[in-house]
This record gives sequence, structure tokens and C-alpha cells, in this order.
Amino acid sequence: MSELLPLLVAVPIVGALVGLVVGYKFERLAWPLAVVTSLAHTALAAFVAFEVYAGGEPLSYAVGGFQPPFGIELVVDGLNAAVVVLVAAVALGILAYARRAGPHSAAFYTGYLLLVAGLSGMSVTGDMFNLYVFLEITGLAAYALVATGDDGRSAVGALKYLLVGTVGASLFLVGIGYAFVATGTLNMADLAEKLAGVGYGSTLVRASFAFVVTGLAVKTALYPLHTWQPEAYASAPDSVSALISALVSTVSAYALGRVIFSVYTVDFLSSVAFAREFVLVLAGISIIAGSVLAVMQTELKRMLAYSSVSQFGLVVAAFAIANDAAVTGGVVHLVGHAVMKGGLFLAVGAIAARTGARYVGEFDGLAARAPLLSAALATLSLSMVGVPPAVGFVGKWYIALGAIQSQLWPIAVVILLSTLLTLAYFLRIVERMYFRSAAPREAPAERSTGTGAAAVADGGANDDSDTDDERPTLGRGSDVDFGSPSAGMVAVILVAALLAVALGPLVSTFEPLLEPTLDLLLQP
Amino acid sequence: MVAEALTIVPPFVYVLVAALLLPFVPRRVGHALGFVATAVVVPIAFLAPEGAHWAVKLFGSEAQQFGFEVVLFNVDEFSRLMGIIFGFIGAIAVLYSYASDASNKQTAYALSYAGTSIGAVFAGDWLTLVFFWELMAVTSTLLVWDYGGKAVRAGFRYAVLHGIGGSLVLAAIVWHYAEVGSFLFSASTGIVGGTPAILALAAIGIGVNVGFVGLHAWLPDTYPRPHVAASVFLCVYTTKTGVYAMYRAFPEGHLWIAYMGAAMAVFGATMAVLQKDMRRLLSYHIQSQVGYMIAGVGIGTTVATAGAFGHVFNHILYKSLLFMTVGVIIYRTGEESLKYVGGLWRKMPVTFVAFVVAALSIGGFPGFNGFVSKGMVLAEAHYEHLYVIWYLLLAGGVGTFLSFIKLGWYAFYEGSYDGPVRDANRLQMVGMVTVAILCVFYGLVPNALFAILPGNEGGFDYTTYTWGHIQEGVILFILGVVAFVVLKRLLDRLGRVPDIDALYNPLAFYGTRGLVRGVTETYAAVDRAAVATASGVTWTVGNPDEALRRATGRTDTDEEGEPTWPVSLRAGIGTSVLLLTAVVTVGIALLIVV
Repeated sequence: MSELLPLLVAVPIVGALVGLVVGYKFERLAWPLAVVTSLAHTALAAFVAFEVYAGGEPLSYAVGGFQPPFGIELVVDGLNAAVVVLVAAVALGILAYARRAGPHSAAFYTGYLLLVAGLSGMSVTGDMFNLYVFLEITGLAAYALVATGDDGRSAVGALKYLLVGTVGASLFLVGIGYAFVATGTLNMADLAEKLAGVGYGSTLVRASFAFVVTGLAVKTALYPLHTWQPEAYASAPDSVSALISALVSTVSAYALGRVIFSVYTVDFLSSVAFAREFVLVLAGISIIAGSVLAVMQTELKRMLAYSSVSQFGLVVAAFAIANDAAVTGGVVHLVGHAVMKGGLFLAVGAIAARTGARYVGEFDGLAARAPLLSAALATLSLSMVGVPPAVGFVGKWYIALGAIQSQLWPIAVVILLSTLLTLAYFLRIVERMYFRSAAPREAPAERSTGTGAAAVADGGANDDSDTDDERPTLGRGSDVDFGSPSAGMVAVILVAALLAVALGPLVSTFEPLLEPTLDLLLQP
Repeated sequence: MVAEALTIVPPFVYVLVAALLLPFVPRRVGHALGFVATAVVVPIAFLAPEGAHWAVKLFGSEAQQFGFEVVLFNVDEFSRLMGIIFGFIGAIAVLYSYASDASNKQTAYALSYAGTSIGAVFAGDWLTLVFFWELMAVTSTLLVWDYGGKAVRAGFRYAVLHGIGGSLVLAAIVWHYAEVGSFLFSASTGIVGGTPAILALAAIGIGVNVGFVGLHAWLPDTYPRPHVAASVFLCVYTTKTGVYAMYRAFPEGHLWIAYMGAAMAVFGATMAVLQKDMRRLLSYHIQSQVGYMIAGVGIGTTVATAGAFGHVFNHILYKSLLFMTVGVIIYRTGEESLKYVGGLWRKMPVTFVAFVVAALSIGGFPGFNGFVSKGMVLAEAHYEHLYVIWYLLLAGGVGTFLSFIKLGWYAFYEGSYDGPVRDANRLQMVGMVTVAILCVFYGLVPNALFAILPGNEGGFDYTTYTWGHIQEGVILFILGVVAFVVLKRLLDRLGRVPDIDALYNPLAFYGTRGLVRGVTETYAAVDRAAVATASGVTWTVGNPDEALRRATGRTDTDEEGEPTWPVSLRAGIGTSVLLLTAVVTVGIALLIVV
């Protein structure tokens, strides 16, 4: 069984390369090839996850036959099996959305599959340096995808993402280096033993923890290290925003959890002064500051981006609390947030395509103009706020429960407070959509008669998109040019909304599956 | 067999059924029905065997632990006496209503009021008693309101005060239940005072109904306002049920209550002397006479209690007679005040004779029924060496004579009334004469009264007609005459005398208005503050740049007046890396240095 593990990374890479070569010649084949790859990848991920949860034992594979700790090890246990499936499934769903929403170039699909490969690699690797490599692959692919926005804003956004992300990754590498100097090994399981052997009092070990956590916190976009994230999300095309918001920070947060539990261990957290507090404070500030910043936003995509800052604060806090309930909640929220946030970005894109609304002020009376999409957006929003029985509620519930069990009252209060703030920024959207009537709009009339300024602006946008590729891309240039969303796009959004609600009750089935892994990870 | 027929339903049912039917039948039939329904209570009360009938369990079956034991039809010598006189005078009052052109609706309200009062005195437990007690307040308010005009506001004040009184009684009863575990009268001796507060609650709550000094102002405020027949009903039931409840609450008496009774006797009589409105004068006399009863209950010996209940019985006779005679005057002349009537004795001799009988009865002149029962209370106060009470009650007697001499003098003797006046009509006469005959009968044959008084075990330790008692009665009368002669000029010039309600009505009005305004204004202030805070936060969140400028006071602008600071609140690439470095520094410092 474990021979399948490298395929989780190999399949998307191969798909990316084949897609690039074939797509160069036959651009129309690029999307079908990507879908086939993604389907295969999803099937593979599902099969692996089934094996892990059914067997109750982690799967492990030594790459190239070099046995760990010297060779690279791939490991899938209860914790990352869920992440692997999530990566594959979300990638497949957004690919369906991207068929109409674009971008449509073969290069995009290549970057897309490379990103998926990087994410899968981060998810399954059992080696610290390998984790760094996949982190960089993921990062580079993500920078490139953000830059497909093709206007000045996305270029600046991508550049900022590149620079800040690279510095963060470098800090992570420095941390790995310190740990390597202290122990002489890079394998996670081996590191865990050796670090304990060296002693947690060692300056090298402690410094490595600080570097690794900070580095991964940049990638996870915790406040105040999030500065790259809103601009990157907001300036990218909508499919890309959805993909990176759903997966990149998610897998980084998973990696942070994996490093805490499997490398430094819970023992380190509890025995070293300020180790847990450092992470908790970072996460707690992130929860509050992210929510407050989200309330302040007028652009929907930026608001959703800041919302992610807050939600990942929750997940990281859960990992730092490190008891059964909190970690279960953390994993649930990790998966749930990916579904919800990805769905929200897709819904915002589709709504923009149909009505041109991208700012909070333009959402007045939207429910009348786009009832189905509004309903999906409202469902996803309420789920994110944490209305039972949706998955957003279950995740927060377990995390709050864990905080209370560990008697970390400030964190419990912060979680409850963040729910209020989340309510504040999502409810105003819902309120505008359903309880206000649209202001009489003059813009369409102006466009149809074609006053000078509007004609020039429209013409400019048209020229841009015409020269770049045949079909317009959602989230690039004018939404009017894009036309209305396809049935496929709406279907993907509805599936996300249904999943957000349906996953909640399923958590009770998932929880016992996760239990053996947690017993192993959280043992003192 | 007979006993079963008598107790087949509690007696209040007959009266309330009649009240329900009355609005739907012709006036004559309806009033006949009301007359029969109230009259039938007399034989039932007289003949029904002693004991608890209709003992049921509320809110639970017999087998269950939950629920309250209640007795809907309880017969003992106290409730028997109350039932007899309530039923009898109810019938007379229905007759009088019919004769005085009362509408079916008004008599229906009056009968529901009489019915609930009968329910209250036949209750065998506090829960049933307080249930009917509150209903009495409601039905009597409706009876007052039915007349419209000034009666509406007076009725409202009446309702508010009785609502407060009823609540106090209810509170005392609930507390009593917590102490005793049962509502039944048989479970304890009166209200059980675990703390004095229970007793105070009960006394003050019942005190509203009997007209304690200070709590009495509803009485002269309300009773003069409605229809003359309604006044006949009103003067009977509320206060006398109060006396009965006071006995149930304090069967062994209480000295403070005795003093309060004496104070009521003097205060009521004094205020009565100062009145011009005939029914208002009579209303103050209710308070005064109830004072004698309360004093009797308060003294608490067998003879005093018997005297108190005898006085209840007698008082109902002569006070309803007084209201009937005054009612006839108002009915025939349309005048309420003594200023506008006079010299009527020639024109309405029957009414005049009935008035004289009633006046001598209420004053306690030998040979009339008031003499018998009032004498019992007076003698007992003397016998128990409660001299202050004794003197106060004697002074009240002088005031009573004085005020009825005044009433009789101005209404029937002095002055004249222009215009044709006829005497009472036949049915009114029947009612008045019947009651007047009873007043004299019970005065001359005290043993007929003693036979139905509670605590009579082969006669009382009291002789009605002794020299001392007769002298006492006559002296009081003479003092009354002398006082009238002396004070007549003064009384002539007197205007309207304010009572305690002149103080507390405005106080309650402005107090309530102040409270309402205070609450509304406070709420508005809180609301304004909350809204201001919320909109401030919303604005700050929506305009962070401007907020920052205002907070720091930096107002740099370019040549076009556009603010140039702050350039952007978003972190650039450099700032981001700086932040990153700062965080990692803090992390390392925390983990290594500390």
C-alpha cells in the first residue's frame, strides 16, 4: 500500500509536465489533461486515506529505498490523510470552476498542478528538509499563479508575496539548520527522539523552534506576518484566490501542527517556558486582529482574506493548546475552513460575474438579482460564523472546549469574541443582500449609451483581455466582459455550501477515526 | 336529606348564576330572580349543618402529594352569621334597586359583587378567601364604573388601592402557607406569624378593606359617586368582609388592632360631622362604625368578638337603611348636598321615620339595635381596662349622634325645598320599613340577636339593659345634642374639608409621572450613548485614516487640501520584513533569554 505514497506527489508533477508539453501545441487539451490528472490524484488520495483510517496504522514509505533516518520518508497518518484528501478534492472542484472562469492558458494549468504537487508533498513528507523543499515549490507556484492576474496590482501583490514568503521560508530553513546542527538528523521521527536527547534546554533547540514557528506562521499568514496575504488574494484571478486561500495557508498550518507534534512534541511545549505562550499569543492576536481588520474592509475579497487571518489563528491556537478536543477541533476547522473559504471566494467571483458587485456597498438587494448565489454565500457565511450544525460551528466548538479543558480562559474568551466579530463582518453582507433594496443604478444606462470615458475604459479592458487570451478570465479586467457564470461554476459553489453544512454532523463519525493518531501524537 | 339539599352547591353559585342571567331577561324577571337568589342564601346559611362542605384539592388529585386543600363551603357560627345578613340585605338591596330604576346591568354587577362576597365569607381556607377577595375588588370596581362620569376616576383610585391591599393580603397568605403548609383555617389559629412582618402584611392588607385611618380615603371618595342603589350594596359588603377576614387572621385579637379600631371610630365620626354631601357623610360613618367592630375583634375576648359580629349584623341593617333613606332623598330631589335640601319631613314622612330609626340605631340609643352590639364592645373595653379605647369609642359615639342630628336637622327639618317632592315609592318603602322594623326588633329583643352570635354557649356574660348602659346611651345622645347646638354656626360656615387623599393622590400622580419620565429619560440616555458609541466605532472602522489623523492631530495637506498623512495604513514589503524580524526576535528572546 505504502508504495502509493510517492504517487501522491508524482502524479500532479507528471500531469503538469505533460500538460505543459501538450498544451503548448493543443491548448484546448490542457484543461481535460489537468482534470484527468486531478481525478487520478483524488482517487489516489481517497484510497490512501481509506487505507489509513481503515487500518488504523500510519503508512510509511522510504523514498528511493534509502531507509530513514538517512533517506526521505513519506508518512500518512490520521492527521494528514484528511489534508491529503482535502487538497485533492478542493483542487478538483476549483478546476471545474476554472473551466469557465479561467485563466485558460496551459501555463496556468501547469502552475496549478505544480501547486497541488507541492501541497501534497508538504502534506505527506516525514522529513524536515523535504518539507522545506515542498514549501518552496508550493510558494513558487503560488507566486506565479497570483501573477496571472496580469495587471499592475496582481504583479505588486505577487512580488510582495514572493519577498515576504521567501524571507519566511528562509527563517524556516534557518530553524531546520539549527535543529540539524543540534541533532545531526532531518527525519521528523528521529528528530523528535534526538531533540529530547539533546535536551530542551539547549539554546540551539529553542532557537530552532522560534525560527521554524515564525517561518511557518508567515506562510500560514498569522497577524502581524499576514501582510502579503490580503493583497495576494485580492489581486489574483478568482479561481486562484479560491485555490490558494483554501489550500496554501491550510497546508502551512497543518505543517506547523505536524512540526509541533511530531518534531518538537507536546513535551517540549509543556516543559519549555514561553514555547506554548509564544504560539498562543501569536494565534490569539491573529484571531482578534484578523477579525477587526476584516470588519474594516469594503472589498469582499480583502474581507475574506482578513477573515482567513483570524480563522488560522484559531487553528494554530488549537494546535498550541494540544489536547484531544482542541486538536480534533483544529483539524476539523482546517478542513471546514478550506471548504467554506474556497466556496466563499468562488461565490464572490460568480456574483461579480453576474452583477458586477465586488464591494460591500454594492451588495444591497443582491438576493433579488442572484437568489441562488446569494443563498450559497449566506449559507457559507453563516457556517463560517459558526451557526450549528454547520462545520464551522463544530470546529470552533471543539477548540473552545479544548481551551476550557486546559483552563486557558483568555483563549476561550478570544474564541467567543471572534465569533461575535465574525458575525459582524458576515452579517452585514447577509443583511445587505436580504434586507435592503438595491439603490437605483445609473451605471448600466451610462454604459449602454456609451459616454466617452466609459467607452474608453471598456475598450481598454477589452483590448487587454483580447491580446492575452481568447476567453476572458474572472477577476481580471472588467467583470462585464466576462459575462455570466456557467452552470458548472454555480454547481461547484452549491456543492461547497452543501458540504459546509453536511460536514458538521459527519464530524462525530470522523472523530473516532482520528483518535488513534491523536493518542500517538499527544502522548506525553 | 335536607342537609344534603342545602349543601349541594356553595351558596355563592346561586347569586352568581342570577348575576349572569340578569342581563338577558326582562327587568322585572331579572330582579325577581336576583331577589330569590340572594334571599335563598339566608335559609341555607341558617340551616346548613356545621362543617366543611365542598372540600376539594386544587391542582392535583387526592392521591397526589401536590395540590392545595381548599374548602369552598365552610359553615361555622361566624360564616353562618355573615351569610344570613349578607343574603338578607342582598335581597333588600335588589328590591331597592328595582324600585330605584337601576338597570339590569348595574344589578348584575351588584349581584356578582354580593355573590363573591358571599363566596368569601363561606370560604374555608385562605386561598379561596383571597380568590373571592380579589374578585370582590374587581366586581365592585365594575359596579362603580357602570355609573360613568365622576365615578370612573373614583373607581380607578378605588381599584388601585384595593389592588395594593389585595396584593399585601396575598403576600401574607403565601408567607403563611410557607410557615404552616396548608391554606385551611382549621390548620392553624389565624395567620401564623413566623415573623411580625407576616402579621403586619395581613393587618395592613385587610386594613385597606376595613378603612384603617390613613388607608380609608377610598371610602368617602367612592361610595357617594355611583347610583344610589349601588351605594346600598357597596356600604354592606367590602368593609364587613374585611372585618370577617380580620377575625379569621387574628381570632385571638391584637392590641394594636384594637387601638386602630378606636382611632377609626373617632376619626370617621369627626370627619363625618364636617361633611355636607349626604352620602359622603354616611361613608365616613362606615369607617367610624367599622372602627367599633375592629376594636371588638382587636380586644379578642368572647364577648368583644361577639359584640363585633353583632355590630356587623346590626350595622348592615341600619347603614343600608341610612343609604336607602338618603338614596330616596337623592332619588326624589336629585340633590347630593345638604345645602340644597331641607324641611323634607313633611313631604316624606315614611322616609323620615325610617331615617330616625336608623340614626338612633347607629348612635346606639337605648331600644335600638346599635345600642346592643356597641354596648358589648364598650363594656368589654372597660372590663379589660383598656380605658383609652373605651374613651375613644365613647367619643366616637358622641360624634355619631352629633353628625346624625346634623344630617337629620338639615335634611328633614331646617330650611325648605322648593318644588314637588313625593315620598318613597311603595317598593322602596317595603325595603326601608322591613329593615327599620328589624332595627327596632333586635334593639328590644337582644336575645334574638344573641342566638345567632358566635361564642354563645348558653348566653353571654353581658346584660344589655342595665341602668348603667342606658344612662351611658342617653348621656351620649345629650352630649351630641349639646355639641350640635354649640357647633351649629361653625358647621354652617364650613367648606369642604380635605382628607388624606388630598395629599397622596397628587403625590401618587406626580410620583408616578416622575418615575415614568425618569425611567424613559434614563433609557433614552443609555440608548443615545449606545448608539453614539456604535456609530463612532462604525465610523472609525470605515475611516481609519481620518480617525488616525484626528487622534494624532496631524493635519498635513497638500496644495489641493487633500490630506497627505498617513500615506497608507497597509504595510509595504519593507515593513512586512521588519515585522517578521521583530516577531522572530521576540520569539527567540522569549525562548532563550528569559
